[in-house]
Amino acid sequence: MIKTYRMYWEFTRKSFQRSAAYRVDSWSRVLGNVMSLGIWGCIWFALYYGKGSVENISFHSMLSYILISMALQGIHSAGTPLWEIQRRVRTGDIAIELLRPYDYPLRMLFTDLGSMSFYFITAIFPLYTVIFIFFQPNIPLSASQWGLFILSAALGYLIRYSLELTFGLFTFWLVETGGVEDIFYFSISLFSGSVVPLWFFPDWLASIASLLPFQGIYFVPNAIFVGELSGQAILPALLNQVIWLVICYGLLRFVWAKASQKIVVQGG
Amino acid sequence: MLKSCLRGLKFYFYMVGVSIKTQLQYRYAFVMNILGWAMTYAGTAITMWVMLYSFQTIRGWMFWELLFLFGLSVLSWSICIIFFFHFRNMDEYIVEGTFDRFLVRPIHPFLHVVALKFDVGAFGQLLFSIVALIIAYAQLGLNWQLSQWLIFLGAVIGGTLIQGGMLVLISGVAFWTTRSERLFWTLMWPAKNLMNYPLTIFPRVIQLLVTFVLPFAFVNFLPALLLLDKTKESFAPYWGFFTLPVGVIFFALCFKFWTIGLNHYKSAGS
Amino acid sequence: MSIIEVKHLYKEFKIPKRQEGMSGALRSLFHRQYLTKPAVNDISFSIDCGEIVGYIGPNGAGKSTTIKMLTGILVPSSGYIRVNGLIPYKERQRNARQIGVVFGQRSQLWWDLPTIESFELLKQVFQIPAERYRQNMARFRKILELDEFLHTPVRQLSLGQRMRADIAAALLHDPKIIFLDEPTIGLDVVAKERMRSFIREINRERGVTVILTTHDMSDIEKLCQRMILIDKGQVMYDGELAKIKETFGKTRILIVDLEEEIVDFSLDGVEVVKQEGNRRWLKFNRDTITASQLISRISENYNVRDISIQDPEIEVLIRNIYENNLPSEQAFTNKAKP
Repeated sequence: MIKTYRMYWEFTRKSFQRSAAYRVDSWSRVLGNVMSLGIWGCIWFALYYGKGSVENISFHSMLSYILISMALQGIHSAGTPLWEIQRRVRTGDIAIELLRPYDYPLRMLFTDLGSMSFYFITAIFPLYTVIFIFFQPNIPLSASQWGLFILSAALGYLIRYSLELTFGLFTFWLVETGGVEDIFYFSISLFSGSVVPLWFFPDWLASIASLLPFQGIYFVPNAIFVGELSGQAILPALLNQVIWLVICYGLLRFVWAKASQKIVVQGG
Repeated sequence: MLKSCLRGLKFYFYMVGVSIKTQLQYRYAFVMNILGWAMTYAGTAITMWVMLYSFQTIRGWMFWELLFLFGLSVLSWSICIIFFFHFRNMDEYIVEGTFDRFLVRPIHPFLHVVALKFDVGAFGQLLFSIVALIIAYAQLGLNWQLSQWLIFLGAVIGGTLIQGGMLVLISGVAFWTTRSERLFWTLMWPAKNLMNYPLTIFPRVIQLLVTFVLPFAFVNFLPALLLLDKTKESFAPYWGFFTLPVGVIFFALCFKFWTIGLNHYKSAGS
Repeated sequence: MSIIEVKHLYKEFKIPKRQEGMSGALRSLFHRQYLTKPAVNDISFSIDCGEIVGYIGPNGAGKSTTIKMLTGILVPSSGYIRVNGLIPYKERQRNARQIGVVFGQRSQLWWDLPTIESFELLKQVFQIPAERYRQNMARFRKILELDEFLHTPVRQLSLGQRMRADIAAALLHDPKIIFLDEPTIGLDVVAKERMRSFIREINRERGVTVILTTHDMSDIEKLCQRMILIDKGQVMYDGELAKIKETFGKTRILIVDLEEEIVDFSLDGVEVVKQEGNRRWLKFNRDTITASQLISRISENYNVRDISIQDPEIEVLIRNIYENNLPSEQAFTNKAKP
């Protein structure tokens, strides 16, 4: 058991070290993230211009929301992107992984952990420390709020990871996922509350969003972070995340099992 | 000189034919691609709508005006995609050695790269932008004179050249760094998204930057001020006339950069 | 008359230096060190019109880099290059008209097009006169047997077919010089032989100068009068093939068929490299013992049925050169003429 985890840990370590080799990528990702943050900051500033609070949310809370949301999105962006998974399926690289004595979805998770922590330590953490000091947004005030935020953010990451890998594996059956893929991306970006929190949605759209797994990715951790989601309300939100994670992870395992079968039978 | 231009054109049109044929071979992928792009842009428009649902206006721009602004940039972008979108893959062409073979042929390598693809998938964006513009035009009750139609035409052609020039610029960077696709998605894409919103919401320094350095403002914002008759903005209204000449000059400069990069080309492998 | 002239050619590449460990990884994010590696380090040679020259060396020796500079793909760091009077990287398009290029591992053809359409496209690109094109195509179709796959898209061709199509494509515009980078890589014996005889033919009949890089020594043995051997970016040997054999082929193999089975067959100064039944392959050095001395010594001790001498294969020879890692000045008196 310990030995197995040491093996997976090795992937994390390796990918951490390898990350340094792609420094152009790293810098351009930081720049892209900062630009997105700037654009969304300006948009929200302009939207609030001349208005006090909208839907009971003040500009300051909204600014805090977009800051933490971009920080989280920045961390997520260091993982293996969807198109890379699709490429591996199309080229058959993924078939080789089946011959190796490890579980592919887990290995991927640990590998991404390495590149993400590298990116977090070298870019996101220092960058957002400075930004936070400058803008003084709402941040968690107690250790328990920090703990709940980190837990929620981790759950959110795992939900997105499971969904994205599952979707990537669909490439086994669909040669071209063009249109479906874009609906998928759009759903994640809108319903996860990555840039527009669910508070501002029309009621009917908000109720659709609450029935989908995506809100657990960014909206719940962001709302905990800025303090809009607090006290008793946190528990059901976390529970909702856990349930969706179980469902999404189950789906991933199911699709992966089907995909492995397909590789074994048809040779990829 | 004229003869070699003609030969180049003949070659280009032949390649365009081939490219279209190839893309139509995979009919399912072709349709999916168009659908996908139309969907992506519709998604952005929906996000805008959701955002303005609670807020009504953004710096005096309401949703339909925003949709017009967005539609105008997507229109020229979709034409740009048809000719230049594959320039972002320059790194791939270099690494896979495709580019090497262009250099041992008696046609300018730039033309070779342009001729590599004629992206019919851009039809999706085109479709979206035209529909969005028509809806916005109707909802805003616009009624353009000939002069405004000319500004519109200039904005589309000039906008295509400005964005095409940007793609050429990025592909030129690949000669030094062998990375361009990444650069496109992390730098140009966010910068392009900046144009989806009225420029006045951004800080002054950004406004100057996208007006005088990377002239994105000429693609949609400045012409839109004229076309939507929004003369109360902080920009003088006549800027929007100049999209076409700005596009021509900017594209020429980017092309120059590309040819400088060509001399630094390192080739793949060894 | 020399058609290619290269003097003191250099090409350097900058390679990022990998730093060790986790902290090294962090450090290199901010400050990366580069090594300047000369891929081509002071190479000079000249090639006459109508020659077939083998340009060989181990992986990473600088072969492809040289070829890429000669074809105008790469700009040299410094040095003098003339290909039929042109500076390739400065007059790329004019140079392109007088050369043909085949990169064995990468096709020059359009992947999605039927083969014949690639040819027709090249006809346009190179402005080949209709009559000339017709004649060339007729010829290539016959010799290279292109007809069997003319209408198949390039991506569906077998390796051998693709190589034939590629070489035809490279010769369509009647180039004066043709560069073949690994033209026989991955081909089977029959296909290789066919490729070689075609290369010989175009060289003989059209006087096309051929520069060939290869890993397959039999390509060199069967095609080239001259070879340029390079290693670590420098010319190690430039001259006739026969001469390299004579100069460096000091070991010979003596094949002995013995009358009876002998278990502990051994002789001083001789190495048994192989045995099969009563037959022994003995390696000896011509400097320490001559063949006749060896034969008489063997026949003194054993009953011999038959005896023969094998020339060392050039591959073994080349391997010896690399294994001994001889300094070029001392070992190679036949170095490139200045």
